[in-house]
Amino acid sequence: MTNTWYLYLFFAAALVFAGLLGLLLRRSLIKLFIAIEVVAKGISLLLLGTGFAKDNILVAQTLVVTFIVVEVSLVATALALIINIARQAKSLDIRQLSRLKG
Amino acid sequence: MIVQTALLIGLVLFSVLAILLRDLLKSAISLAAASLLLGVVFFRMNAPYAGVFEISVVAGLITVLFILTIALTKAGDEVRESRAVNWVFPLFFAAFIIIDALVMKGLLQKIPALASGAETGTFGDVLWKGRTFDLVGQIAVILAGVFAVLALFRKRDKHD
Repeated sequence: MTNTWYLYLFFAAALVFAGLLGLLLRRSLIKLFIAIEVVAKGISLLLLGTGFAKDNILVAQTLVVTFIVVEVSLVATALALIINIARQAKSLDIRQLSRLKG
Repeated sequence: MIVQTALLIGLVLFSVLAILLRDLLKSAISLAAASLLLGVVFFRMNAPYAGVFEISVVAGLITVLFILTIALTKAGDEVRESRAVNWVFPLFFAAFIIIDALVMKGLLQKIPALASGAETGTFGDVLWKGRTFDLVGQIAVILAGVFAVLALFRKRDKHD
């Protein structure tokens, strides 16, 4: 059972790190949000993988379902914010946003 | 085990593609493909409810939202990304994978986790009886999201 847990933790860590690297290196707001989504995938895999390895799959499933619902609200709000920013600043570059006043 | 590993490798590959690809539409579609693979992984872990949520909501709804946003913000195509991404990302990622493979085995014993033990009941029992407060929280989060989107898209008065 330890081997399967190792497998899931290994890939979850890889996903989280890929997302964090994307957050550090990208400049487009939509790309940054795609990187956040990749981190979120890593977290769901971690939750369910641990539940599977510890024979607690039902609790892990409820946690993942809750996490997905929270994720959807987050995505809807953040994308609405991105659309508003794109309309006002005429750009999605995060370097442009730092020049805004107010 | 081999199929599961192959699915997980595909999941990581599509996620990395979603970050590395220059075209926003292509990266949104790679993200959807990654979600689909994650959903299949969930199904194979005997977690059908999580799998259904992952495929229908994350691979479906969130992809539609992303594509809608990309269509509504044409300015997104003109963002100049740094050229360093093309070589910094694979370099650091490969280094992390090597560290991950070496360190994770030692970390397994130290990570606190839920106590092992067979569960009784069904998914419905656990969700409705065991985690009732989570459901209340979910409703609150959904309402907060709805109000946030409404506030962001409201028509402005002439006084503003």
